[in-house]
Amino acid sequence: MSQRYVEISNLVKAYPNPFGDDFRVVEGLNLNMFQGEFVSLIGHSGCGKSTVLTMLAGLNEISEGGIIVDNKEIDGPGPDRAVVFQAPCLMPWMNAFDNVMLGVKNVYPHATPEERKQIVEYSLARVGLKDSMKKFPRELSGGMQQRVGIARAIALKPKVLLLDEPFGRLDSLTRMELQDVILDIVAQEKLTSMIVTHDVDEAVFMSDRVIMMTNGPLARIGEVMNIHWERPRDREEIFADPKFFEYREHLLSFLEQRAHLKSDFHDFEDNRQHGKDNLLSFVKNPMELYGAENSHKA
Amino acid sequence: MADSKVDKIKYGILKVIDVSGFKVFDPPVRLLFGEEPQKQIKDIGRYMVLPILFVVGCIFLWTVIAPTHKTKSGEVPTPTKVWTAGQDSLRFHEKEDEKEKAFFLSGEDRLAEIKEVEALQAELQAEFEKLEAISKETSANAEAETAKKLAPLQKEYDELKAQYKEAQTARKAALTALSDKVAAKQAKSADLVAAIIDNDTKTDAEKGKLKDIKTAMDDIRSNPPKEVKEAQLAANKVADEIQHGKKRLSYLTTGNLSEKKASFVAKAEDAETALAASTTGKDALKQAKYVVSNTEKADKADEQKYPRAASIVWQTHRSLLTVIVGFIIGALIAIPLGIMCGLNKIVMACLTPLISIFRPVSPVVWLLIFQIVVGAFFPDPEKHPLFVFLNSSINPLSYFQTNPAMIFSACTVAMCALWPALVNTALGVSSIDPDHLNVAKVLRLGFWSRLFKIIIPSSLPLVFAGLRISLGVGWMVLIAAEALSSSDGLGKFVWDEYQNGSSQSFANIILACFVVGIIGFFLDRLMIILQRFVSFDESATL
Repeated sequence: MSQRYVEISNLVKAYPNPFGDDFRVVEGLNLNMFQGEFVSLIGHSGCGKSTVLTMLAGLNEISEGGIIVDNKEIDGPGPDRAVVFQAPCLMPWMNAFDNVMLGVKNVYPHATPEERKQIVEYSLARVGLKDSMKKFPRELSGGMQQRVGIARAIALKPKVLLLDEPFGRLDSLTRMELQDVILDIVAQEKLTSMIVTHDVDEAVFMSDRVIMMTNGPLARIGEVMNIHWERPRDREEIFADPKFFEYREHLLSFLEQRAHLKSDFHDFEDNRQHGKDNLLSFVKNPMELYGAENSHKA
Repeated sequence: MADSKVDKIKYGILKVIDVSGFKVFDPPVRLLFGEEPQKQIKDIGRYMVLPILFVVGCIFLWTVIAPTHKTKSGEVPTPTKVWTAGQDSLRFHEKEDEKEKAFFLSGEDRLAEIKEVEALQAELQAEFEKLEAISKETSANAEAETAKKLAPLQKEYDELKAQYKEAQTARKAALTALSDKVAAKQAKSADLVAAIIDNDTKTDAEKGKLKDIKTAMDDIRSNPPKEVKEAQLAANKVADEIQHGKKRLSYLTTGNLSEKKASFVAKAEDAETALAASTTGKDALKQAKYVVSNTEKADKADEQKYPRAASIVWQTHRSLLTVIVGFIIGALIAIPLGIMCGLNKIVMACLTPLISIFRPVSPVVWLLIFQIVVGAFFPDPEKHPLFVFLNSSINPLSYFQTNPAMIFSACTVAMCALWPALVNTALGVSSIDPDHLNVAKVLRLGFWSRLFKIIIPSSLPLVFAGLRISLGVGWMVLIAAEALSSSDGLGKFVWDEYQNGSSQSFANIILACFVVGIIGFFLDRLMIILQRFVSFDESATL
């Protein structure tokens, strides 16, 4: 088992800033994941954890640094890295079966129609939608829609499963069901997975490692917490384990601590102000500045 | 179980009503199934009865106001007149159908039809005679009545005239006497002037009185009682039918296609026997030529068509075909262009100036441009292969009598219907949910499957909204284009009626107005239904 199945090195996300210095959301993030590992990214809103995940997915351009998955540097999105989005993102004009089939056709170009059909049916059965394959998204509940989203992701037979707050919009009961579904699949398919979440319990229960990120901008890894529990995990056992509360407390204290630390943000504001002053000294006509500022906002 | 079945039927009907957009019929259906009768009755009262009463009120107002406005083309027609005009137009269409049928009938059917028509003719003749008699009687009665009314007036007129003549001669004599006196200096000249003025006023007054009586008499003469007109009209109507029967008979006998063909064949056969019996070379040549020419004529008879006169029904069909052809051309141009605009900002930037400049151009201008441009392709339309093909007797499309005017009307429709569809398609494509595009990226969909599986389906509701506007615009533009280009259709019907100015023209124009409106309404409804089917947000699964 490779210790560096996913290798994120010196990752930077910077948005161009008209006032000089770029707006760097993520600054020099390093992270290695071994095959089959389940990693959580946790942190305050706007800390750039989703940015990291979308960069890994290939949906977001990488400004500096690089990401290697299974010995290949990634360039754009690909079916080896499947994503489950926060919203189910199903095509409303297709039924569950067709939604899953959408990607299957591309990933298995040489498969016969019958084989493709089996793959789709298997994936939907995996998430417990065997009886709702012909239903349209509008006929499915939020939880069931998200199950289709998961089925669509695993039907691609990905190497890496990326979960972008996949349960953010679901009630806690459905959330627990889907957590079990995902853990089950991940264990069986030996998927390397990354989940972005706000939910401390979820992070502790699901992951092998929890990555705590500092507040953005200039977000980087604040702390890493390893969680040593055997898989498969039983929810009741784990919730009864005193260690669970230790992990939980640790995570919460990190987050609370970060909540008071707004210094990073002030740094950025100072930068911004600084840039503006510089600019002002060059601008003769203040209206020009207005124009520049407006165009930036637009 | 029975209950659920009834429910199923009920909700089935309600769904159809909902999809077709006739929400008004929702309460009566619910009432029929006994759902909350009080609420339904209230709704029916509000949304059905009141609107119907309002429309009835409007029609009543029309009936009252219309005859008060006199125009050059007669009174503004009342609803009854328009209704009659509609019935007459339909009958006209039926007559054309009957004649066409007669033209093509052959064999036993033809003979049976002849018998039938002859029986009908006899009936009609009898009815006509009856009606004619009634008409004559009424008009005789009316004349007697008029004469009775006129007699005292005439008497008064004659008396007054004689009286005035006498008075005038007396006054003239008095004037002459007075002027003599003035000349002899026995009277003042001022008196003479006064007398002349007095004479003139009196003469004028007398003439006025006579004129008044005359006008009253003319009025009575020129306005015979209604019954006379009605009786005459009824008789005329039957006379028309008789005329039509005669025409029909002629199409069944001498004018009949099979008969014509048979006569040519018979002539050819005669010529053949003559040819066999011919003794001189000259005669043989002549007969042989006859054989050839008659055989040719017999062969060509199959290609003959019945020369149909344009009825409003046919004009409507032709307008519908033109608008659909134009609309399809417009949609075929607009949708791909719109998709390209939505997908690519550069294409959008390139097309924006064209769209902004050409969209506000009046359909009339487009019509003239197309008339010139398209006209150039068909210098001799009669012989152009396209029209020869479309109008050949075997082609079912020959019913529509395609001509260049129809083509450039359709082009005008396409040009004007293009813009809403184009703009809406571009909007639909460019406003696609970015999440869906992200999914497409992750699934690594190729350009075409991204286009057909994600972009087009998600923009369809807006595309159809655009097409709906396009069809409405196209229909409006078409009527104007037909009127201007005299391409057969409802527009031309209106224009012809305006030009020929018969007693029923005005009523026919208003009739056409309703036909255009009702068809436009149904076209719009059709598009709404289609739009509902493609929109995935609504549960529009039937």
